This record gives sequence, structure tokens and C-alpha cells, in this order.
Amino acid sequence: MSGKMNRRSFLKMMGWGGAGAALSGCDLPSTVTLEEGKEEVVSYLMPEEFVIPGVGVWYSSTCMQCSAGCGIHGRVREGRVLKLEGNPDAALNNGKLCMMGQAGVQGHYSPDRIVAPLMRSGGNLAPVSWDKALAVLNEKLGATNGDRFAWFTGTISGHQLALVSNHLDAMGSTKHFAHDVVNNAVSQAVNKDMLGEANPRLRLDKAKMVVSFGADFMGAGQSPVHYAGQYAKFRTAKQRGLLVQIEPKMSLTGGSADLWLAIKPGTEGVLALGIANLLLNKIKVSDAGIPSGVRKLIDRYDVTKVAKITGVAGHRIQRVAQLLTERSPSLVLAGATVEGHAHGYDSVAAVMMLNHILGNVGKTIESSGNFPFPQLMAKQGNTSDLVEFAAAASGKKLDAVIFSGSNPVYSAPAALNLSDAIGNIGFKVAISQFMDETTALADLVLPAASYLEDWGTQVPATQAERSAIYVQQPLMEPLHPDTRGLGDIILTLLKQRKTAEYGQFDDYYAYLRNAFAAMPAAVKKNTKNNNEFWDAALQTGVINLDVPAKKLKSTVVSFAEPISEVGDADANGLYLLPSPRMGLLDGRHANLPWLQEAPDQISKVVWDSWAEIHPTTAAKLGIGNGDKIKISTHSGSIELHTVLLKGMHANAIAVPLGQGHDDYGRYAKGLGVNPLKILDATRETKTGELAMYGTQVQVTRVAPPERLGIVRLGSSDTQAGRKLVVTVPVEQLRRTEGA
Amino acid sequence: MTMATEKDINEQIAWAKINTDVLRSMENPRPAYWVTVAVCVAMISVAVFAEYIQYTEGMGYANLNNPHMWDLYIASFVFWIGMSHSGTLLSAILHLMHSDWRKPIYRFAEAMTTFSLLTAGLFPIIHLGRVWNMYWVLPYVSDRGHWPNFRSPLAWDAFAISTYLSASMLFLFIGMIPDLAICRDHGKGWRKKLYTVLALGWEGNDRQWRHFRKTYLLMACFLIPLAVSVHSIVSADFAMAIMPGWHVTSFPPYFVAGALYSGCAAIITLFVLLRYFFRFEDYMTLPIMEKTAKLTFAIAMVWTYLNLVEFASIWYGHNVYDKELLIAKATGAYAPIFWSMIFLGSVLPFTLAFRSLRRHMPTMFVVSILLNVGMFFERWMIVAPTLSLSQEPHQWDVMWGSVVEWGIVFGSFGWFGLLFLIFVKVFPSVSMYEVKEMVFHRQRSAGEEDLIRMTDHTQPATETAGGEESK
Amino acid sequence: MSLDNILNNWSDYRKGAEEGGHHDYEHRWTMAINLDVCIGCNACSVACYAENNLAVVGKERFEKGQAMHWMRIERYWDQAADMEHPEQGASFLPMLCQQCGAATCEPVCPVAATYHTPDGLNAQVYNRCIGSRYCSNNCPFRVRYFNFYSYYESAWPSPMEQQLNPDISVRDKGVMEKCTFCVQRIRTVKDRAKMEDRSVVDGEAMTACAQACPTSAIVFGDTMDESSAVSQLWKKHQVKRGTYQSTRGEKANPNLRGYRIFEELNVDPSIMYLERVREDV
Repeated sequence: MSGKMNRRSFLKMMGWGGAGAALSGCDLPSTVTLEEGKEEVVSYLMPEEFVIPGVGVWYSSTCMQCSAGCGIHGRVREGRVLKLEGNPDAALNNGKLCMMGQAGVQGHYSPDRIVAPLMRSGGNLAPVSWDKALAVLNEKLGATNGDRFAWFTGTISGHQLALVSNHLDAMGSTKHFAHDVVNNAVSQAVNKDMLGEANPRLRLDKAKMVVSFGADFMGAGQSPVHYAGQYAKFRTAKQRGLLVQIEPKMSLTGGSADLWLAIKPGTEGVLALGIANLLLNKIKVSDAGIPSGVRKLIDRYDVTKVAKITGVAGHRIQRVAQLLTERSPSLVLAGATVEGHAHGYDSVAAVMMLNHILGNVGKTIESSGNFPFPQLMAKQGNTSDLVEFAAAASGKKLDAVIFSGSNPVYSAPAALNLSDAIGNIGFKVAISQFMDETTALADLVLPAASYLEDWGTQVPATQAERSAIYVQQPLMEPLHPDTRGLGDIILTLLKQRKTAEYGQFDDYYAYLRNAFAAMPAAVKKNTKNNNEFWDAALQTGVINLDVPAKKLKSTVVSFAEPISEVGDADANGLYLLPSPRMGLLDGRHANLPWLQEAPDQISKVVWDSWAEIHPTTAAKLGIGNGDKIKISTHSGSIELHTVLLKGMHANAIAVPLGQGHDDYGRYAKGLGVNPLKILDATRETKTGELAMYGTQVQVTRVAPPERLGIVRLGSSDTQAGRKLVVTVPVEQLRRTEGA
Repeated sequence: MTMATEKDINEQIAWAKINTDVLRSMENPRPAYWVTVAVCVAMISVAVFAEYIQYTEGMGYANLNNPHMWDLYIASFVFWIGMSHSGTLLSAILHLMHSDWRKPIYRFAEAMTTFSLLTAGLFPIIHLGRVWNMYWVLPYVSDRGHWPNFRSPLAWDAFAISTYLSASMLFLFIGMIPDLAICRDHGKGWRKKLYTVLALGWEGNDRQWRHFRKTYLLMACFLIPLAVSVHSIVSADFAMAIMPGWHVTSFPPYFVAGALYSGCAAIITLFVLLRYFFRFEDYMTLPIMEKTAKLTFAIAMVWTYLNLVEFASIWYGHNVYDKELLIAKATGAYAPIFWSMIFLGSVLPFTLAFRSLRRHMPTMFVVSILLNVGMFFERWMIVAPTLSLSQEPHQWDVMWGSVVEWGIVFGSFGWFGLLFLIFVKVFPSVSMYEVKEMVFHRQRSAGEEDLIRMTDHTQPATETAGGEESK
Repeated sequence: MSLDNILNNWSDYRKGAEEGGHHDYEHRWTMAINLDVCIGCNACSVACYAENNLAVVGKERFEKGQAMHWMRIERYWDQAADMEHPEQGASFLPMLCQQCGAATCEPVCPVAATYHTPDGLNAQVYNRCIGSRYCSNNCPFRVRYFNFYSYYESAWPSPMEQQLNPDISVRDKGVMEKCTFCVQRIRTVKDRAKMEDRSVVDGEAMTACAQACPTSAIVFGDTMDESSAVSQLWKKHQVKRGTYQSTRGEKANPNLRGYRIFEELNVDPSIMYLERVREDV
């Protein structure tokens, strides 16, 4: 071990910095034990010990299809990974896996993978060798330092994050932009202020009633499989849980609601105030801990006024308030549609205040404890970083940027002018599997291994009842020999800067083994030695951590009036809801044919973009079902076909995210439109997030329906009198199966 | 209005002239014949091209889809099977009923049976996803112990159609033997060789005639129940299914009636054509056309009645699925086709009630074709709407066939036409020996008829023998 | 080829046909789907694509109705027409082959390519299928999917074909296919049990859809095993096997949620659905 390093810097290097637990000695295991440099053709007549021809073996790893980080099992047969399933050892997803996770193999085997390093020469990207690519990288990064160098990633955690941070340190930079369109950054800010933790544990399974303000926790949320599992427990409990969903556009979660209420976009906070008003003034719940300014705000919103502003009927509001007191503990959630306005913070705060009033904090909202390895904790993507990045780029403050795991050129609104601004960056490196919009603008493209070929650790921001580090291991040899894992690439970059410290690691695998060996004994538990610990971690795919229980504080912050002037004034204004869906999500899965062909859960449309409008709004605008319409904002317009849907508020028009790629392979290119492009670049006032749901639009009819305009599954929206799905009242369930 | 009792045929026509006229027809038809042959060949090439696409690329090019696994191919199959009933009806039934006016026209009707069966038989093959394995529906001896599924109406179809096809070909052939001998005696070159083989050494002696008569009668008796069973079995393709609109008890008689109907209409069409092509005005006379038209009218009314029975039983049966389907047929996407079928099948036949129209060849040509269009629609309306609207509403769909599908259906008419045109060119399309019989019998009974006419003052005696059509 | 062989086969065949399929079941694979926790998320459907080599057909063919989703999630809106919003959400129905005990698809196949196995499955023999598509026409659930095209090149451009499950075939054009209850998984489990000289344990055989379901709405198992979870569920909800003629769909407690779709058609489906529950607020 290098004598130059002290213990502290070593731990930091290994990603365990800040660990409070006792540490064992650093006995470094010998690295790769397999014979090196030998290559033989081995016939399956004499299979290797761990390969049984014709028998599939399941290996653990971690899903990287979204930032939830579920544990997976991959079925490997004859050296190929065939199918992914949930890892039953992973408390987060309990052996289950969503459609996006299932489709991970398709990204891995995609015919559109980048298979060799590419360098821009004469305007075009041309293949180069890794040696050449790394030499150029070394030269270019050597010519810059400090904050003129930056990393631009998506949500990133675990040892990859530790390496990125260390690389930034080595470069003397503090610029790590993490961007994710599907985020809960505003909620995190509110939670941090009110509860003291950005990502507390939400326990739907302990709640008797859930009121969700636009939180699509089972669809495009932070951890859909985890919450779907909790939801199943919530529904099948002795007393069946009651789900009330309040949102301007029916989400996947909303589809399962007992009561679904359409609300005018941007007025969710007002409704929360109205409910609080009823709770405090009518039902006389204690107002302890509520700042006087907020209390005054609450008093100003009586039911009549709230009903008028939000469009939710007064008796519904009263009933929800009543039920919230009857069904305790309950859980009130705020989602993306609440966050995505200029007053998003205030709205979310108003909603989260209900949990305080109802005494849910500590019951259905628990502390996730102090995670022992803060360096590994997820750096969650948001949109304020995107805005800042665009500003830095257009201000010519950046010389070199490395992009990985995010596609800002696709997701940035045109108003940010990112694709032009990015041209100001002298040297753009993209570590990418696919030629997406951002990669296409890069000067150097490094072909990344897929997550099924790579090592890594993941620390999801949303943790299960038991916090854990999720271990990612390659399920097969790299499909394309010239691709490299993200960890390996960063390690190479670190070696270029800090040869002394990182030179000892042949590769990321060696680094990870060292890192695991350096883990505190408390984590290694019953394992006899480091090898055994390593094997156990790979076998289960999970390192469970004992995080001491902690109590959450329950406070209410002062917040401003959660309503925008504009929205209130224009009764006929149409808000564009660029809604992410379980499937293509923010567009990262548009190149997976299974997900393109899987119908949207609510509208059932496939292979395209479409606009969802309420029939009455459509009638007012003279638009019919399937018509081609034009949606215009200050920043541009998109043309697409309509789907008339009653699960919409009359003041909302929803366009799903994910399509409209100019690039990104054969399955994504040229399909549909990208609503993100036409969003206003308005920012949430307190967090600086983009107000994604605050853009008002003009809608005009362009053309009547066309043959391939809307392609959808199923032709009947009703059961035509058949007994297909039978709905029974909950009273009947209580008589037979209930308590 | 007085009805002139015209003679079906000029009794004075010389036997030698019959031979000459018919044999001449095989040598020099009007140019229109060759034009029609060319049109048929063109139609077939369209179908061949369409089938090539479908064979190499897949059934999807016919626009078939999940609810619409069957469409025009099966409708055409039923249509052509129906067409084949004309020959049996005219030949066998009228033969047993001693209606001798059938004699000048039964030969081509029988040929029609054979060729429409050959056309019909193509469709179950064309519609198979894996045509190359079509022989698996036959119970050939396989060491692997594979049998077809004897419970499947499609397997029954295979047996029924092959039986019917061989029986009706045999019937056609047997009935032609004496004529083939005439052809042999007059033929030259390849024709002579062909007819020599086919005439089976017919000499016209007494023993041969006696055997011939018995065989022919036997075949006629055999063919009638066969024809009825064939179309009943075809109807079982639908009636044995669980689907609304298909699971109908009255389907067998309904199908048989429809079959006779379209068969009769097709006879009228070909009657007009042959009369023109081969200058057969002496044999295919207006009185015979009138009789055929009246027969068609009667069958049209039976078919209409059976339709109404089906609608009424569905209406009063209150089976939700069936009723829903009936309403959808009348009001849904297929409504134009459905109402066209009703109009063409039940209203248009009333034109046949008018004597002047019955005697107007161009009108009869157009009307008979329209009747068959109606009958084609009928088959289409049996197949498609049920599939579009089954028990499961999620998969409801209305499907319109692609160019490939229509191309093959279109080409099948060319295929039928070409086979038929070749037949009438190679074989005598009017039965010479039977027309001679007819003329002979009529001459002999003329004396008795005159006697009746003298005593019956309501009907004036016809003055000309042969009528206006002899020109 | 011996005459004996043929005659024996013929008499076997006749016996099977006359006595109406199997009576001595070895297993009776069965499913129960709880519609109250089904959230319509498509996880099962995509899992099915992954497990069963289902072809992706693309927009054009999807529009024509030629998609191959063995497991499809139907979505219905159950509301009065004058309601402004669907206040009780959507009704999701995972629809797959019901593996009917008295399947209507079986008798109509001219070549007996679809038949009943001693496992209670409605098997489709791809090699035997000649593509008459009669089975699909006679399926009230419309869950049979036909290979209208060859997909082995277009749906799996290299290297995507490496993902294909080698345990089952990729069907070529002209062949009917449908949900098999993941017969290859059942087979693997049965083989393993046989090798270990034991019977199959409940939960060992699991379809891809049931495995994936995030809310565990799908329960799969063998109803011949009285103690299996699925047996317990069927018993609890008093849904009995057999045609409507024999059971009349009768339950001692009509409030229990179990039911089978199109029970009145006498097809004896192997899938019991549990009614969706909604609380009137």
C-alpha cells in the first residue's frame, strides 16, 4: 500500500469516507486470481465448472434502468444473460421488477450500441483506438483545471460517484452537474426543511389512507417497484387502505385510486391549505407547530374559495378532510405536478404540512437514519443543475466536460439554448452506450459497457425498511470487446492525474475488491474473511446495513402563498403537462422496442407521442379524438395527435415524455415529439428547479385523424355489458375478507 | 295479357345441324371469347402476384389481424362452393324430375360445378399460414400416429369437398361420353386422340346405352344428398363455432339455399355468355332462360325467408352477443355491405318476375351478376362482422382487406373463367345427344299437345315452330 | 411403419376424442389474479416478451392488430357516460390465455395442433400448426396470436437474437401462438423434481408474469396440490373447476370476489379473477 496516503485519504479514495463505524485492517486481497493473458477456446464438451450447458444460472446484480436501483437476478445461460428478474434478497423490490427493468436486456443487446471510441475530426465522429482516445483525453484534461472542468451525470451513487468526486478533486473542480428530468428535488428541499431529511422513508404499508397530490409513486416515481409492493400491502391489509389521488392528469397511480380528483394545475397547495383549514378550524385538530404566518394563510382559504380556485368540489374536500382524521395514520404525498411550478416549494410545503397536522410524521414517514457512507449516497439529479450548466456553458466558463448517464441536449427546453451553448465548451467527452443527442455533439465518445457487463455499487436514495448498498456485477463478458465500464474509465482518468494512489488498481474490479475489503467489520458481519464477504455480497447482490433508528423532527416551515398570479387570472389557460410514464420515462428508454410496444397504461397508445385532453376542453377548441393539433408556447411548437381522456383537468393538456429523438438508434429516432423542448425556462423560486408543469400553451387544430396518427391497444373503452372487470364496493369486501 | 306457350326448342331442328352447331362452337367462337380469355389470364396474374407476396412474406399482407383471422378468403371459399351447386341442381335434380328443358344447358352448368369447386378448393389452401403443410388435414397413414382432428369442421371440409369434387367430375364426364364419341368421329389431330381416349370406346350400342343410363341415374341420386351435405358441412365451419352470428342452427339449410341461389344466378350469366359466344340461340332459347329465371326467383324467396327466420330468432332469442351483432351489421361499419346484400339478394330478384326483363339478355346478364355480387356480400357478412364483434369487446375491430387479399379474390374469378372457357372450347358445352333426345321426344308428343290445344280455347296455338330466336 | 402401430394410434385417438380429453390430470396449473391490486403497470406483459421470445411488430403492424402480446393489459373506464371524470380510476384486466378445461379452440383445429395436456394446459404444438387460424376465431377471449410475418430477422436485429430464450422456439410465419403458462419453466421444475425424486413444491413453478408482478396480483400454482396458495384461493372464493353446466357458477357466499370471465360460455377457464374493490368516498 502506498505510503503517501494516510488513513483518511485512503478511505475517501475507497468511497467509505465519513464512516463512523470501526474499521478493520486493510488486508488487501490478491486481485484477479484467474490466469491472465491466456485465451483458449473451450468447448462446451468440457464446460467450465460454473457453466452447465442448457441450464440457466441466476446471478445477482443491480438494475440501472432508473435511479431506483432495484436488486436483480439475471438468468445466464451459455455465457449470455437472457432475462432479468427481481432479486428476492433486495428489500427494496422484494424479487419484483418493473417493465423498464425487464427491458434492460434489450439495451444491453441493442443493435445500436457504440462499439468503439469515436473522435471528432473534420466535423464527423470517426473511430479511434482507446490508446489514442485516452491520450487525447489526458492532453485535453491536462490543459484545464479548476472549475473550468466539469462532470455532467444523471443520478449517480456508490463507488462510481466516489470515483467521480475523487476525479473532480484531482482536477481541482467542484463542478458536478447531476441532471434528471424525473426528480423530486423540490420535495427533497421541503423535506429537508420540515423533517430534517431529504429522503425520509415513506411507509404506505403502515398507512390506512393515502392522499397523493400528483405523486405517481407506482409509475414514474422515485422507486416504483418498492412503492408498488407497499401499495399491495396497503390494499390487502385487514382494513383495506384508501387511496385518494388528486392531480391534473391521471397517472398510473391515479388509475388505481378509490377517489380520483382532477385539480387545476398549480393549485394543489391551495387545496392543501383548504384541507388544513377544515382540519384546524372545523374538526379542531391542534395547530401546534404551525408558524403564525402559515396559520394566517390557512385561515384565508375556506372551502368555498378553495373549491373555486382548484376546481375540486367543496363536498369532496370536506369528505377528504373528514376521512383523514378518521383513518389515522394516513400519508399525504406531493408529486411532480405539485413541484413543477414557480411556487412549487410553497405548494409542496403546504401539502407536507398536512402530515404534520395529522401526526403522520414518525408513523408513516420515518427517518431513513444516517447512512454510514455519505460519499456513496446518491447524488440525485435535478433540473437546476441543467439550468446552471447551460448558463456556465453559454458564459464560456467551461473548457472540458465529461457527460455520462444523462442526455441534457435532449431534455433541456429550447429556451435554455443548450445545444448552442454546449458548442462553447472546448472539449466534450461523452461516456455513452448509445448515440444520443448529447453524445452526437461530443468531441470524444467513449463506448460504455452496459450495466449488465459492469461492476459497481448503487445506493438508492429511496431505501427500503433496511438501508443497503446494492452490488452490481457483470452478468456476462462484454458483448463488444472495445467497450469499457464507467468505473474503469474513471479509474483510468484518475490514474492519469494521480498515478501514485490509483496506479495500484489494475481495473475497477480490483478497486472494488479493495474497497470491499476496507469496509468496517460491522458491515462484514458473519463472514470469515474478505473473500467470503465479497462472495456473499455478489451472491445476494445486497450489503444490508444496520442503520440506527432516528427520530424525525416534525416542523412546518414558513411558506408563501402557493399559487401563481397568472394561473389564477386565466381561467381558460391550458397548462402543458410533460408527463413521464413508466415505460419510456424521460426518454432514456425510447430505444427499447419492448417499451415502445408496451402501451401507455392509461391511454394505451404505442410507438408515438400524443396529447391527452379532456373531451369538454377539446370540444371548446373544436378538436376531435385523434385530430392532429399544434401546441405552441413562446419557445416553439409541437404537432401531434390527440387522445380525448376524461382523466384530465379541463385546464391541462398532457404530452408524455420520451419520444421526439433526433438520434438514439433505430427504435427511437423520428418517433413523436419532445414536449420538453417547448417548455418555458421558468424556475421554481426557492430551489431554482425548472417549473416543468407551469408552461401555458396555445392549442390549435391542424388536421383530422390520420391512419397511423394514434395507434393504440384495444378498441373498446367500455366492457359493453360484459362481466370482465367487476367492481364491488369495499363494504362487500369487509363482509367477506375484512376484519 | 295472353301467354304464348312457346316451345323450349325448335322441334324441327335436324340432328345433323345439332352436331354441326355444337362442333362448330368448339372451332370458331366470336372474337369476344378470346377477349374474355385474355381478361381472365390478366386477372389470374394479379392473383398469382398477390399470392407470391403472401406466400413469401406472410399472411399479414392480407391485412388479417387478431380478431379477423378469416376474411375474404373464407367468404370466397363459401361463395364458390355455393356456386358449385348449380350443376348438381340442374343436372341431377331436374334429371330426376324429368324436366327435359334442362338438356341444352346442363352441360355447362355441370362444368361450372367442377370449376367452381376447383376454385373454391384453392381458398382453404391460400388462406393457410403454412400452405406447404396442407396435406396434414388428410388422414394419410403416418408412422408417427398423426391423424387429423376428426372433430374439426375444417377436416370435414377437406373430406366433403374432395368427395364432392370427384363425384361431380365423374358425373360431368359420364354425361359427356356419348358426345365425346361424336367429337371423336368428327375430330382431327390432337382432338381426335383426346376424344378417342375419353370416349372410352363408345359405340352407341344398346348395352352401352343401358349401362350408361343406369350409371348416370345412380350418379344423379348420389350427388344430390352429397351436394346438400357439402354445403351443410361448410356451414358447420361457422355453426360449430361458439361465436355469435356463427353459432346458428339454421345455417345448413340457409347455406344450401344460398348456394342454389348463387348457382342459378351464375347459370344465367353463363347462359347469356355462351349463347352469344357460340351463337347457341337455337339451343339456349328464351323459354329455357325464362324457366331458369323463374327457378332463380323461387330460390331467392326461399333464401329471403331463411334470412328473416334467422333475424327473427336472434331478435326474439335475446342472446346479447347475437343481438348486438345483428344490430351492428345493420348499423355499424359493415352496414353498407349488409344492406347491399339485402337489396341485391331479396329485392333485385323481383326483376325476374317480369317477362319482358326475363327475355332481355343484357338485363339478365347484369341482374344475374348483381345477384351473385349480393351473394358474395352475404358470405362476407357471415365471416367478417362476427369476427369484428365477438364476446371480448377489447379486441373489437373493423378490418378491410388489402390489395393482396382483394387481388387473390379477384383473380379467382379469372381462374374460374379461364377453366370454364377452356372447357367450352375443348368439350361440347351443349349436350348433343340429349338435345337430340329432347327434340325427338317433343316431336313425338307434338300430336298429343295439338289435341290439348284444340280443346283448350284459352290458349291460341303458336304458329311458328322454333320461335323468333331461330332467326 | 407397422399396421399395429397405426391401429393402436387410431384407437388411442378415438378414445381421447370420445371421452373428451384428459381425466387423469397430473397437475392442474391454475392462476388467480387479484384485480384489486393490479395497477396495470405492464410489468407482466414485458416479462412475457422477455421469457417467451415474443416479437416486437412495430407501429404499422400494431395498428393493423397484428401485435403478439400474449399478456395484454386491457383498460376499461367504468363510469356513467355523464361523469366528468373517472373518479374511481381505471379498470385494468390482465388478459391471457385462460387455459380452458373445455377449450373451444381445441376441437376446431383440423390437425389437432392444439390439445389438452395432462397438466391441464392448453398446448399449442407449433410444429404441427398449419395456420388455419380457426382456433383463434373460436376463442372468446381473443388471446391467440398468429405469426402473420416472419420475425426472426426483423424483430431481433443482431445482436438482439442473443437475448432469445433457448428453451423455446422462435415461431416462424404461419403459426399460431399463445400464452403457455410458461410451459418451459414448468417443464424445468418438473424435471428437477423428478431427478430429485420428489413432487413439485408450491411456488417452485412460476410464470414470468406472476414472478414479475410488483404487487403480487398474480398467483400461480397447481390446484391438484390442495395446499398450494392458488388452491387455497380458489377454495376461499368458492370458485370450482368445471363448466357452467356442472357448477352453475354457484357459491355458498355470493359476496366472495372470485369469478371467471365468460363462465356462461361453458369453457371452464383456469384463471380466476378477484373482483376489483372500490370505496365510495
